[in-house]
Amino acid sequence: MVIVRAFIGFFTLLIFARIIGKEQISQLNSFDYVLGITIGSIAASLTTDLSSRAWPHWVGLLTWVVLGLLMELISTKWRYAAKYLEGEPAIVIMNGKIMENVLKKLKYRASEVSELLRNKGVFDLNQVDFAIIEPNGQISVLLKPEYLPLTPKDLNVKVSPSGISTELVYDGIIIEENLRQLNKDKNWLLEELKKQRIKDISEVFLVTLNPAGSLYVDRYEDHLKKVTDIGDYKGPY
Amino acid sequence: MRTFLVRAIPIVTLIFFILVMLSGDVLKKSFGNDDNITQSIAILMQDVDNENWEAADKDTDNLTRAWNKVVNRIQFSSERNEINNFSISLARLRGAIQAKDRSAGLQELNEAYEHWNDLGK
Repeated sequence: MVIVRAFIGFFTLLIFARIIGKEQISQLNSFDYVLGITIGSIAASLTTDLSSRAWPHWVGLLTWVVLGLLMELISTKWRYAAKYLEGEPAIVIMNGKIMENVLKKLKYRASEVSELLRNKGVFDLNQVDFAIIEPNGQISVLLKPEYLPLTPKDLNVKVSPSGISTELVYDGIIIEENLRQLNKDKNWLLEELKKQRIKDISEVFLVTLNPAGSLYVDRYEDHLKKVTDIGDYKGPY
Repeated sequence: MRTFLVRAIPIVTLIFFILVMLSGDVLKKSFGNDDNITQSIAILMQDVDNENWEAADKDTDNLTRAWNKVVNRIQFSSERNEINNFSISLARLRGAIQAKDRSAGLQELNEAYEHWNDLGK
């Protein structure tokens, strides 16, 4: 009985989560978070609460999901509602000065802001020009111009575009579709691998190609003499 | 075809789940000669009312058999509490028939009938 109800709960949740969620957990605002917990909790009692039928739990689950979708729909169609429902970004540091009133309103302590800044790699408040707390609770930081990292543009250095690499081989199997998209063929790939003294495709674990045209090749045999182990214990764990 | 399947599979799955959860009312009904709970209870009521204890004993066995058959069908759409309560009523009914206690027998039968009505609702 529990197994059947677990199946119902699991797959219903899976389908509903696909309908509702395109956001990642880290991007959830506080209400999405509560919504997720409540829906999960209803699904849990649907599975194990045998003292009542599955149906009322399921209807509850459906209603929460529909309301969640409705709120999402309202906030995409109506800007004011979106601000009310999802909250808006709040500037907590402006021109290097902490906005105490905003912090009070958001119920944030200065130490929490420092923590969020440290998470972003900013340890000195002097470096911060603007800091904004986003509705999902994360902080966005704009450093003062003098602390911004130097870029090739500042030095007038010409660089080639990096772009995103494409996987050509994974686990010893050629991904033909990606090769086709790049207007390359199998022969070209094998030729390139031969240059790196690879005779057979099954020797490689991963091959990627970046838009600049350089190949990254990783073989199964890594030929490393000394492997760095960062674990404290020998194991088994 | 792919888009169709991507949409159809979740919809069909959800409809299937709903049918499983709501199947209780339909599956409660009798599909054969030996799984009619309402009729069995009615016959038992007559037996007990007329203090016909031998027939009552035999008809309780029939009711238990019918119940065991039906409970397999309705377990996914009903609450465990009602299922358990019905089983307890059956056990008490056996005791009442053994003791040849008319009033206790009728009480249990009426309670069992009430649990039967509430199953899956």
